[in-house]
Amino acid sequence: MKLTIQLRPEGGVRDSTASRRAFLRNTSLVAGALLARGPFTWTQMMAGAALSAAEPGAKPDTTLEISEIEWELAPKKKIRTTAYNGQIPGPLLRVTEGKPVSIEIVNRLDREEIVHWHGQWIPVPVDGAMEEGSPMIPAGGRTLIQFSPRPAGLHWYHTHAMAHRDLTRGLYSGQFGVLHVDPASGDPGQYDQEQFIVLHDWEPYYTASNDGSMMVSYACGSVNGRMLGHGEPIRVREGERVLMQILNASATEVHWLALPGHKFQVLAMDGAPVATQATVETLRLGPAERITALVTMNAPGVWVLGEAQKAFRDAGMGVVIEYAGRAGKPQEPGAEKPAWDYRMFGDATPAARTPDVTIPMVFTSRFKGHGALDEWMINGKSWPHTDPIVVREGLRHRLVFDNRSTDDHPIHLHRHNFELVSIRGAATSGVHKDVVIVEAGTKVEADLVASNPGNTLFHCHQQDHMDMGFMALFRYA
Amino acid sequence: MACGVCAAAAHAQGNYEIQVYGADTVAPRSTMVELHSNFTAEGHPAMGGVAATNHAEHETVEITQGINDWSEVGFYIFTSEQSGLGVEWVGDHIRPRVRVPEKWRWPVGVSLSTEVGYQRALFSPDTWTWEIRPIVDKTTGRWYFAVNPALERTWHGPDVNQGIGFSPAAKISYDFTKQITGGLEYYADYGSITNIASLRDQQQQFFPAIDLNVSPKWEINFGVGVGPTSATDHWIVKGIVGRRFDWGKQKQ
Repeated sequence: MKLTIQLRPEGGVRDSTASRRAFLRNTSLVAGALLARGPFTWTQMMAGAALSAAEPGAKPDTTLEISEIEWELAPKKKIRTTAYNGQIPGPLLRVTEGKPVSIEIVNRLDREEIVHWHGQWIPVPVDGAMEEGSPMIPAGGRTLIQFSPRPAGLHWYHTHAMAHRDLTRGLYSGQFGVLHVDPASGDPGQYDQEQFIVLHDWEPYYTASNDGSMMVSYACGSVNGRMLGHGEPIRVREGERVLMQILNASATEVHWLALPGHKFQVLAMDGAPVATQATVETLRLGPAERITALVTMNAPGVWVLGEAQKAFRDAGMGVVIEYAGRAGKPQEPGAEKPAWDYRMFGDATPAARTPDVTIPMVFTSRFKGHGALDEWMINGKSWPHTDPIVVREGLRHRLVFDNRSTDDHPIHLHRHNFELVSIRGAATSGVHKDVVIVEAGTKVEADLVASNPGNTLFHCHQQDHMDMGFMALFRYA
Repeated sequence: MACGVCAAAAHAQGNYEIQVYGADTVAPRSTMVELHSNFTAEGHPAMGGVAATNHAEHETVEITQGINDWSEVGFYIFTSEQSGLGVEWVGDHIRPRVRVPEKWRWPVGVSLSTEVGYQRALFSPDTWTWEIRPIVDKTTGRWYFAVNPALERTWHGPDVNQGIGFSPAAKISYDFTKQITGGLEYYADYGSITNIASLRDQQQQFFPAIDLNVSPKWEINFGVGVGPTSATDHWIVKGIVGRRFDWGKQKQ
């Protein structure tokens, strides 16, 4: 049975994923507090023809405040980072597809910032990518944005600032949160509780990679801002169906997630329902990828929902799942990294599509020294010198991602999604994504039907790759 | 350099393992096996019951086992081959090492090794020696820098009363390509730290050297050294070939 991904009104939601009402109450309090403080630079952006103008001083639906915080990952592990509304992850933003939302963003940092609404098909001014033309939020400034959320599903918001060599900035920081767009109508689905699971890695440092170049590694990781064993367990009852909304908000790491004794029925990827709701024991999520999966709680006990790879789990990436009436030492995943193929979730018989245009995109790197990050190139050029990729509205463009490097790349296209057409030469259809991992030395083909005019950023979602030139701009003809 | 069999100044340097250490340690569940081949093209003749270094071929097998992400233990087997003596076992050393874990995010790599071992009097008058070697290195862009200000102590032999000897080593290199790195290595023995030897009695060696980074599993280093002081072997050709073997699941 397919499920439409929508919050069931009476569905249980744990404290860390506060209800929309509580969320709005909290953010109104933040907004009120901000109005009582000093002056800010005011910028205003509107998007969507159906929206009414937002006047300076108009009350937003919600407010995000970017500030520096001290955060306790574990009782003996405090970090200083930047975050939204003083919490990690940022507040769960729950909106309805097509219903305009206004969001005030207050930047309390001493540098420019920008917030990207990842997965949303919204206009350039509010998308949150300076390379497209979205304005930065000045240091100490604020902005009010409005947009009509679409499409429905699990999406997120995060900083789109560059980090370069500063491992405290960009997605190395705590500037990320979940944006869930409820569908305007449809079957709410059958589940008993919904859990949002957000993965992140902390305390990054440079280290030598196996291929001889520098890479970023991390001292610790977290689920929903806490290291394993230090957050509230997820409490379940036998027989419950738990809808897990999982986001990998890591700056650079691919993560494998497992819950021993249980299986994940994958319903959606990157917010879009999949053609085949395959059931798997382990999930793979590249940076920025999202998976919506249903887990039936049929193995009473105390378990760790965590990274399948022990090293990451030991570093803190996991959360305890506790059945009612059960206690004891949580049992950890025993699996590591099983095979993963997006085609598992595609149509049983791939549909043949005929593209109007084929666009080859070759990914390569240039060695800059064993003590430096590689420079990344698309079709032989590195941002900002990459050639613009011209698309035409209404046409089907076949994007051929040819990864000739020794790294995997989570490729992301702003303001659109694409349908996977082939993986390593094997055909597929019915999997729509806005991030796809193109493994080292392989090709992935994806079809983009251009339907949202305006500059559109295309990049690798690994922060260090993006910082080192792995970006290009799609332009509408 | 882990100058595996170093006697003090005025003695021939034990050209068994000629290498400037970097701060990295071998990963856990990995074993590094290295063969150090050093030929002294112009060295010292036999004297005082100690074998000549001139035209001696020294082969050293080094086996290093990674313990965790901040420690390793190395083990050495030293051999020598030369005219009149044939192939001879020289001695063995053991070398534990700890490092500052990368996740501490220090701006430089730092580790500390200590090496203790025995070598036959035929090849070194000091038969039991101990060394402690701080290691600091830094990779930035295409450049690499390393210093090893080692301190040595003789436990048994003529230099037992010399006290602590100072034997620094250093390296600077540049990545010409991803696979080829060229640089200069420096090795010295200044004698007692409280009574530095005169320049002629110091050992000073300079090795232009090349590292070939053909694979993360292989280590290849080649160099030609010149020793300008009378106490130093004047010409040495050195080579290192290492192969890393991984056991079990590796940390990602």
